[in-house]
Amino acid sequence: MADLDSDSRQLLAPEADREVLPGPMNIQFESSDLRPNRPFHVEPTNIVSVSGVLQRVSDHASAMNKRIHYYSRLAAPADQALVAPDHVVPAPEERYVYSPLGSAYKLQSCPEGSGKNTSLVTIFMIWNTMMGTSILSIPWGIKQAGFTTGVCVILLMGLLTLYCCYRVLRSRATIPSVDTTAWEFPDVCRHYFGAFGQWSSLLFSLVSLVGAMIVYWVLMSNFLFNTGKFVFNFIHHINDTDAALSTNDSNPVTCPSAGSGHPDNGSAIFANATGLQQFERWWDKSRTVPFYLVGLLLPLLNFKSPSFFSKFNVLGTVSIVYLTFLVTLKAARLGFHLEFHWFTPTEFFVPEMRARFPQLTGVLTLAFFIHNCVITLLKNNKNQENNVRDLAVAYLLVTLTYLYIGVLVFASFPSPPLPKDCIEQNFLDNFPSTDVLSFVARIFLLFQMVTVYPLLGYLARVQLLGHVFGDPYPSIFHVLVLNLIIVGAGVSMACLYPNIGGIIRYSGAACGLAFVFVYPSLTYILSLRQEDRLTWPSLLFHALLIVLGLANLVAQFFM
Amino acid sequence: MEESDSEKKMEKENLGLRPFSAVVLNMLFCISVLICISLIPISKAIGSWKFCLMVYICRWALPNTALKKKVLLMGKSGSGKTSMRSIIFANYIARDTRRLGATILDRLHSLQINSSLSTYSLVDSVGNTRTFDVEHSHVRFLGNLVLNLWDCGGQDTFMENYFTSQRDNIFRNVEVLIYVFDVESRELEKDMHYYQSCLEAILQNSPDAKIFCLVHKMDLVQEDQRDLIFKEREEDLRRLSRPLECSCFRTSIWDETLYKAWSSIVYQLIPNVQQLEMNLRNFAEIIEADEVLLFERATFLVISHYQCKEQRDAHRFEKISNIIKQFKLSCSKLAASFQSMEVRNSNFAAFIDIFTSNTYVMVVMSDPSIPSAATLINIRNARKHFEKLE
Repeated sequence: MADLDSDSRQLLAPEADREVLPGPMNIQFESSDLRPNRPFHVEPTNIVSVSGVLQRVSDHASAMNKRIHYYSRLAAPADQALVAPDHVVPAPEERYVYSPLGSAYKLQSCPEGSGKNTSLVTIFMIWNTMMGTSILSIPWGIKQAGFTTGVCVILLMGLLTLYCCYRVLRSRATIPSVDTTAWEFPDVCRHYFGAFGQWSSLLFSLVSLVGAMIVYWVLMSNFLFNTGKFVFNFIHHINDTDAALSTNDSNPVTCPSAGSGHPDNGSAIFANATGLQQFERWWDKSRTVPFYLVGLLLPLLNFKSPSFFSKFNVLGTVSIVYLTFLVTLKAARLGFHLEFHWFTPTEFFVPEMRARFPQLTGVLTLAFFIHNCVITLLKNNKNQENNVRDLAVAYLLVTLTYLYIGVLVFASFPSPPLPKDCIEQNFLDNFPSTDVLSFVARIFLLFQMVTVYPLLGYLARVQLLGHVFGDPYPSIFHVLVLNLIIVGAGVSMACLYPNIGGIIRYSGAACGLAFVFVYPSLTYILSLRQEDRLTWPSLLFHALLIVLGLANLVAQFFM
Repeated sequence: MEESDSEKKMEKENLGLRPFSAVVLNMLFCISVLICISLIPISKAIGSWKFCLMVYICRWALPNTALKKKVLLMGKSGSGKTSMRSIIFANYIARDTRRLGATILDRLHSLQINSSLSTYSLVDSVGNTRTFDVEHSHVRFLGNLVLNLWDCGGQDTFMENYFTSQRDNIFRNVEVLIYVFDVESRELEKDMHYYQSCLEAILQNSPDAKIFCLVHKMDLVQEDQRDLIFKEREEDLRRLSRPLECSCFRTSIWDETLYKAWSSIVYQLIPNVQQLEMNLRNFAEIIEADEVLLFERATFLVISHYQCKEQRDAHRFEKISNIIKQFKLSCSKLAASFQSMEVRNSNFAAFIDIFTSNTYVMVVMSDPSIPSAATLINIRNARKHFEKLE
């Protein structure tokens, strides 16, 4: 019998072709196949002459090469059955490039598809993706929950959603029999729950997207209205003092909801009476401005590929940084106004513990929501073993940012003249439209939202039309109908119910129920049961999580 | 061309030998199941018609293996049997070689069995067609051995029902049982349980069968732990298999271990291998070859070899095997079949040729001055001698 001694030396690897892969798009919902096809070439060796030439290719590597060539003939190219896994092909560090003159050198960079980003970049990307417009509602949420309760709830929700995010991250590892490298969390749900899982995860994902788009529309109309008003007042030198309650000093803070609404016959001094009235008829926050936006945004929504808009991603970060700066400056000027009354509301302050805290949890569910794309975001981390650590750090940073802005706005709200109850669902509304700093903030946010809105529309379109019709762009007619429905929803909400806090908490609790609480826990319980490792404490804890998610949703309607 | 012709001949011979009672039983079976099929539009809710249909398909497509000796390749679904068979036997893996599942049968609309009985297509009520490879296909090697693939302990309840009811038929006339374990499987107890029930069936129906256990997908285990884990499994399996003897191998398709394991298996299946080796040595010495290899015909696994001096590359057997199988695949695309090859340069000459009905021979001569005709005549004469040995 052949006396085959095993050769386990892992020596010099042969030259490998470089394939430069396109990096994943900023839009993380594209589940592109990130496994590169790596051709592996071995030059022919002279096997007969036993000259002293140092062998450049080990026997092991050349045998592997023949194996891979042969296996590649056995299956269709699209079939993943016999593709060499990463751990059998020489590692990128072991690959050399040979020049015809005989020298070899290692390439410094490793232009592979996966693992390009350092930890810092990954953390920043997660922070950037999570920071949304729900930051504008955090002070209102703290007000609804009470200061102490609010701070505690923010910390607890951060921890809870972090744990559920960790579960989402680990959910693919529990499926041993299938190749899950290109899977996102909805694919995992489909694996465990069949078609029901796929369709329900699609539905909840759409709920979050459409909710976000409606919030954007409301905010955009708000900001456009205020910007237009500021510009009009600036041009016509109108010193507009609303009848709304406000502080009378150099840092005005208003309480718009306590005011009487439109100062139709206000005591404002204006140059051209009919001009202002005309302007206010044509430039109304809930009656006309939302419709002007349709003309601007509906064409943008119909583009086939919004990659042009993803270039403006940096505006989001700039807006958040500017908001932080704005809040710090205002807090420095206004000072702190905090009084602690535990259960009883007073004229100016709210109690520390309020029964309305579920409103804050609803807002936070959407504020900390990243579960449907966390797998894709962390795929590009260079050191995959640091994924959990990076995720935790990102969550910590997000929590700190929310806490900072929420606490500062709440604490610096000038309470002796104005009650804390006046904090608006969008805290920028508390600054009058003549305030320059908040005008700049509104401009930034308006630009950022105009560029993100088509991206969100694209995501919703890809998910819905892709699953229903199989093609993300079946025809201009389908796309137009979908866009009209979404835009119509946004416009109607802007006209009838422009309370972004309410919209955020309802859509957040709904889609959070599925993606944050129920699916990760259920898949974990099921995978444990399959492996017979389910224990009572673990089952109870995860069942409690599911109950919490349900309670979160139900409480939104009652509190 | 030649190979398929000879296969067809053997088919015809075997059909002629089929006992009369088996033919009658087959016919009765087919008629009864046809009646069941005709009830499909009426009684979709009754589950048993699906079972009959399944049995019908498998009975029809299953070759009457009561006469040929079988090699059973069994293991859990997903343990790598199809890839293994495809690699060893150079079978193209069809895109959709999935086992029948309940979901297909739920929407079954029509059934088409293609004429060569190697595939069948199911058309469901929406119009999607899926083609299935008959897993118990006619892969033949070592002359009269037929390879049968079976999923043991899968989730398909239909396959399980079929399995238990057809057990005797499956396990009769078995020459070799190769059981594949997935080293990463998390249900060790279940795997062992199914393995034991297969062994019981073997003990009842073919007690002389040789048993081989392959611990597969070892590349997924870390290198320093491989020996340890394999030794553990081997002990467990040896203990479980008593009173039968089993040989264990650890394999991975990304390693030379798969090739070596199958070579060992095939080596043990050849009846007079020592005599073959001695004759091979004599032959090599006579023709002054550097190395002479004897391959099994279907798989190009090295049965025995002789070398007169130390060769440098220990992986050469697997490499030659892979290269020739790759070439065979290319030839089959042109509907040609591989017969022989001569490779020559200024340093050596190598000849690969059909030897006996079950083997190929490769002769490597390092003296290029010897003309090819001489070596070919030598091989031809040796052929006659070796054929008598088989």
